[in-house]
Amino acid sequence: MTARVLPLNRVDEFVRRLLAAAEVIAPRRVDGGDVFYGPIASPGEVAWDYSTAVEPLKRFLLPQREPILRFSTNGKLEVRPEYDETERVFLGVRCCDVTGVSVLDAMFGGEIVDPYYMARRERSTFIALTCQQPDAHCFCVCGDAGPFLKTGYDQQWTALKDGMLVEVGSERGEALAAANEDLLLPAQMEHIKERHRLAREAETRFGEYHAYAAAAMRKLTTAEVADEVWQQAADRCIECGGCTFLCPTCSCFTVTDRWEAPGRGVRERHWDACLYSCYSREASGHNPRPEGADRMRGRFFHKLSHQWAQRNGRHACVGCGRCVVGCMAWSHMPAVSEAIRRGAMP
Amino acid sequence: MRNPYLPLVATIQSVKEETYDTTTFRLKIDDPKERAAFTYRPGQFVEVSVFGAGEAPFCLSSSGHGRDTLDITVRKLGRVTSALHALGEGGQVGVRGPLGNWFPFEEVAGKHILFIGGGLGLAPLRPQIQDVYRERDRFASITVLYGARTPQDLIYRDELTEWQQAEGMKCLLTVDVATDGWEGNVGVVGTLLSQVKLDVPQTVAFVCGPPIMIRFVVQDLVSLGFGEDAIISTLERHMRCGIGKCNHCMMGDKYVCLDGPVFSYRQMKAMTELEGE
Repeated sequence: MTARVLPLNRVDEFVRRLLAAAEVIAPRRVDGGDVFYGPIASPGEVAWDYSTAVEPLKRFLLPQREPILRFSTNGKLEVRPEYDETERVFLGVRCCDVTGVSVLDAMFGGEIVDPYYMARRERSTFIALTCQQPDAHCFCVCGDAGPFLKTGYDQQWTALKDGMLVEVGSERGEALAAANEDLLLPAQMEHIKERHRLAREAETRFGEYHAYAAAAMRKLTTAEVADEVWQQAADRCIECGGCTFLCPTCSCFTVTDRWEAPGRGVRERHWDACLYSCYSREASGHNPRPEGADRMRGRFFHKLSHQWAQRNGRHACVGCGRCVVGCMAWSHMPAVSEAIRRGAMP
Repeated sequence: MRNPYLPLVATIQSVKEETYDTTTFRLKIDDPKERAAFTYRPGQFVEVSVFGAGEAPFCLSSSGHGRDTLDITVRKLGRVTSALHALGEGGQVGVRGPLGNWFPFEEVAGKHILFIGGGLGLAPLRPQIQDVYRERDRFASITVLYGARTPQDLIYRDELTEWQQAEGMKCLLTVDVATDGWEGNVGVVGTLLSQVKLDVPQTVAFVCGPPIMIRFVVQDLVSLGFGEDAIISTLERHMRCGIGKCNHCMMGDKYVCLDGPVFSYRQMKAMTELEGE
């Protein structure tokens, strides 16, 4: 699977062809200047020059609220599932977010497949855009998730001077390139060299945030983290759930039923957050994680321990830095990782 | 691909009041083919839907041996359990399962089997007691120790009477608080351990009940010399999905729904340590 170049003046045509075949989710600049991933209607809407999007790709594969069953109790009880079978191309999305999807793949795949997630996932194509301008809060280099990827994408694009370098990472990505071969040129050695130079330079542009994941992983794995760390982190945490909702890999959900009309209802699943005090509370009132410190420990153990990394194929922090931006209490991944390493919150 | 979230429709075949707040529902899966394919083992659980109210996990309290129905024994406590109690015989529910692992059976053949139940914790033990008793020739002995808060809280009373009279089984009862002219034992279930003769190295204990009861009984058993692998329990969590996706039942490095709900004390100790207790 050889690399190609999509000349600058053909990018819009490529996007138009994507739009003709699928819903295209791309970075869009909204009023106020923030960038969100969302559906585009024309090539001009893509914000190619962004650093990070406010939210990750999670909601397009695991919506904040989604119907999973519809039921009718009029007469004979009938229950039927409902799937989203929309074809989607994720265009120009960041490497950290594409890596986040690979963690979701492990969680929702495996021996028991989640059919709602998989219905979307099987119809999704990921065109990653390598990152040359990390934000101040970014630390994907520490999360093995960017700024350039080695695997995990269908295509990976890098903005060069005269066009996009198109790297292919899957059969799906190759098929997409082959179908648009008339727009693409074979990549030359200078393009490849330029890509590697940009990758090296990008790695020098990271700011002050680092998650010392290796030390945190080791201590979590062997249950060596001082209780005070969890207590201090929990004392700050206001349990808003923001870090979990903004996280590309946090995927806890709860399930509720709702009537839509007499005798006709829907079962929905919703995002949930393991930091909420009611998260694991049972009807009897028994709560296996009654204290904030218990829940903080549980969250970071799931994110970073070797035990869960083994189950999910990698640890569950991609270094997107959204928890740094979202946390109002300085209880985010880099802060807590550092606390685990030092034995106290920074 | 089968959708693991899609329940089978089942009908409540019978309703048996166990106590003032606890009821055993016997469910029969409507579709004959699905019914025949629904085989389960002691320790496993199901997710039961009362559509409109929601879904909740319940351990199977019947033995699947030679029957095409399944029992769940339910305390009326929250939204789903209240809605379930409001449905009578003939009511329709959804069933997903069987889910989770099960109690060892072949692995404990030849051993003395000790069951220790507290309150509603007798429910998951009941099918294992029935299965072990059915093949009692293959076990050295069978002992059931059961305790509840008051005599009114004892479940499966008819069966308890049968077990007390059964040959080849010893069954002792106790209550925390004696009322209504109770003349039996008074005290927590662990106190019954002193009334039975145990060949500890050859005994496997199955322990179920509220978390506090499990904690104390396990302490008692460990001090009697039980090994960590000779104490087996089941854990309860509010499992939303039952298939290791929603994460609500996570405990240390395990999902209670997928890796359990049956665990040895050795496993539970390791999980508890990771949870920081």
